[in-house]
Amino acid sequence: MGTKINVDGVLLFEQPFARVPYENYRKVFRTSQKHVERELGAVQSTSADLANRAKNGKVGKEEVLNSIEGMIGRVENLKRKLSELHGGSGKATQDVMRERLHHLATIETLPAASGPDFTRWADTRLDRWLVDWALRTGKEKTARQIAKEKDIETLVDIDLFMDIRRIEGALNNHSCAEALSWCNENKTVLRKIKSTLEFELRLQEYIELSRARKTQEAIAYSKKHLITWQETHLAQIRTASALLAFSPNTTCGPYKRLYDLSRWDTLVRSFRLAIYTLNTLPSEPLLYLSLYAGLASLKLPACYDPSTKNVDCPVCDGEDKNSKNPQGLGLGKLAEEVPQSHHANSTIVCRISGKIMDEDNMPMAFPGGYVYSREALEEMAAKNGGTVTCPRSGEACEFSALKKVFIS
Amino acid sequence: MEGPLKELTKLERLTVSSEKALSIADSLASLLNLLQDAKQQYQDRDLDEGLLTLLSRTIEIKKEVDDRQKEVYSSIARLGKALDKKFPGSLPTYSRLFESPNSLTALERTIALHFLRTGQFETAQTFLEESGVDISEQLRSQFIGLHQILTALRNRDITPALEWASTNREFLHSRSSPLEFHLHRSQYIRLLLASHPPDTLSALSYAKTSLSPFYKDHTTEFRRLLGCIVYLPLSRLQDSPYSDLASPSLHFDLEPLFAKEYCASLGMSRQVPLRVVGDIGGGGALARIEKGRKVMRERKSEWSQTDELPIEIPLPAENRYHSIFACPVSKEQATETNPPMMMTCGHVITKDSLHKLSKPGGRVKCPYCPAESQLGSALRVYF
Repeated sequence: MGTKINVDGVLLFEQPFARVPYENYRKVFRTSQKHVERELGAVQSTSADLANRAKNGKVGKEEVLNSIEGMIGRVENLKRKLSELHGGSGKATQDVMRERLHHLATIETLPAASGPDFTRWADTRLDRWLVDWALRTGKEKTARQIAKEKDIETLVDIDLFMDIRRIEGALNNHSCAEALSWCNENKTVLRKIKSTLEFELRLQEYIELSRARKTQEAIAYSKKHLITWQETHLAQIRTASALLAFSPNTTCGPYKRLYDLSRWDTLVRSFRLAIYTLNTLPSEPLLYLSLYAGLASLKLPACYDPSTKNVDCPVCDGEDKNSKNPQGLGLGKLAEEVPQSHHANSTIVCRISGKIMDEDNMPMAFPGGYVYSREALEEMAAKNGGTVTCPRSGEACEFSALKKVFIS
Repeated sequence: MEGPLKELTKLERLTVSSEKALSIADSLASLLNLLQDAKQQYQDRDLDEGLLTLLSRTIEIKKEVDDRQKEVYSSIARLGKALDKKFPGSLPTYSRLFESPNSLTALERTIALHFLRTGQFETAQTFLEESGVDISEQLRSQFIGLHQILTALRNRDITPALEWASTNREFLHSRSSPLEFHLHRSQYIRLLLASHPPDTLSALSYAKTSLSPFYKDHTTEFRRLLGCIVYLPLSRLQDSPYSDLASPSLHFDLEPLFAKEYCASLGMSRQVPLRVVGDIGGGGALARIEKGRKVMRERKSEWSQTDELPIEIPLPAENRYHSIFACPVSKEQATETNPPMMMTCGHVITKDSLHKLSKPGGRVKCPYCPAESQLGSALRVYF
């Protein structure tokens, strides 16, 4: 029983799941590289310097001892830092990667999309999606509680989203510093994906200087931070230079737009896009993407027709007797935004038993035209001495008066 | 996941010190030894050639560390490639999805109900506080009731379930639900198998008082329940024609059955809706939709987002909730204005097709069998 798992279809959703800890590990590595360069670079130059001066024969004993001790200090420092880094976030991130890859490996080996193992896996997946959704919509407590109660803290990215929130919060308070330092940490990757986030942030800091009418500082800032972008952003840099000639309450189109405070909201969005892209996270919550596809696969005009609603159908809770009260709506409301499913072949579902009718369980029609499965009608006839009653029209007749229906 | 896991193992091996491979930590330790050695020696003598050579070794070790770092770097890059290979496609973007306030409310309500329905009451409470969704106290207590009964069932206590079943007997009867009978059946079998050697008397008296009212509706099953006594104890029962009665699923299946009936009485679906939709969407539907979209793009044809999917998404039988009638002649889906019509031979086509096939005088030759019938004698059918 059960259909085979469409592994590729399942894995389509899981790229970020595997990728986020990978990106985290790269960050750990970059930090370690920075430590190595700083400390060992210094050791190297000290010892070269020492050798050089010894050649010229003018180093005091005290000085040499100090230099060596300085080097020992640096190496010890580096050793400690690296072992802290590895024992802390390095090892932890590797473990998270391993756990997640194992989690995904489960789905490759499960035989069918049913059974307790699949159910458990799919339950966890839904919990992961809910955490992702809650984090993206600012429901941090809910996210943490799900993660804790379901014991899936290593399978969700609370830390990443906390980082996002911290930096976004700073942007909302009109501070670029946090976002800029994030840009600096991820310089190479941002360049690779051709993100202009850093330029936008720099431009904003420049605009703020201009807004405060600190003209000299603005010019210095532009020379230091904007000019480096001239190859790709020359036009914008020119407009920005002219900005100094306009006061913040200017009505002149392009400059008014630069002074517009809504630029901060745009920055928040650009930042979000950049950090999502970096971690291969989609711009929409994963839950939305699965709901979109799932609802579109299920949605039929019948879901919105009161006479053909089915309480078991997830889409059928769209509009019912509470239609004047949108509070009572569920997934059916969301399904309004998605296309409906397409079917080239007939499928006739029995309104009594919910089973699909076929040659082994023929559809049978009442004289009035209402159709049910043979199995369900036989069961009804057996209980009622051969009489069957249509649950929809109330029409009653002998079982023998029912007509076989042929669906080709 | 074999590829990425293999690369991860290699990376892990590179970053911990082991006997086989030297790690950065080892290099640093030897550098430290070297420096301390130099310091020791220098205290006793002058800065001579020997000491300078010693110091120049620091540069070698720096190179060693750099090489190690490079190894780790390329190992990380290989892991990245393995991940790229495993996850070739990135997720699509559907901007502004479910953004309207009404959609958001509907979604939050669905999620709140999901927490309640799956028994995560504390999470539900946190979520309700954080989102401001309003779920009536009555609905909440109904879910709490459901989970209390389910917990009792798990602990082999059928009393609360039976109480609920007897107050909702009429509803259950209208659905011809076997719930009550199955609850008693489970209890009866437990009594039968409880003692060793079997003491059938208590089980039989239970059957007499509790099971016999179901004799009329479950005659065969009732007889089997009494008949299986011949095959006691359990070990014999398991090899008998009644082995199904010895199976633990007879008891475990009560929980889902009860949840289904309970939810139906509240007008809710038998499966958890978020799981159903999520499993379909995350189980291949999105991949198929995206593929269809890509094909459409390559053909430079378009399809309207809100209209209909260009491809059919296969669904498991348990997720077919509605009848679909596609006319075998015109391939069009039946609608209210173009309904399915059954000819006297029993074959069904849509009304439009029927009219197109009719000859003067209103006679129609069935396209699927030799029968001819009158246009007017075709019967509108309701699936």
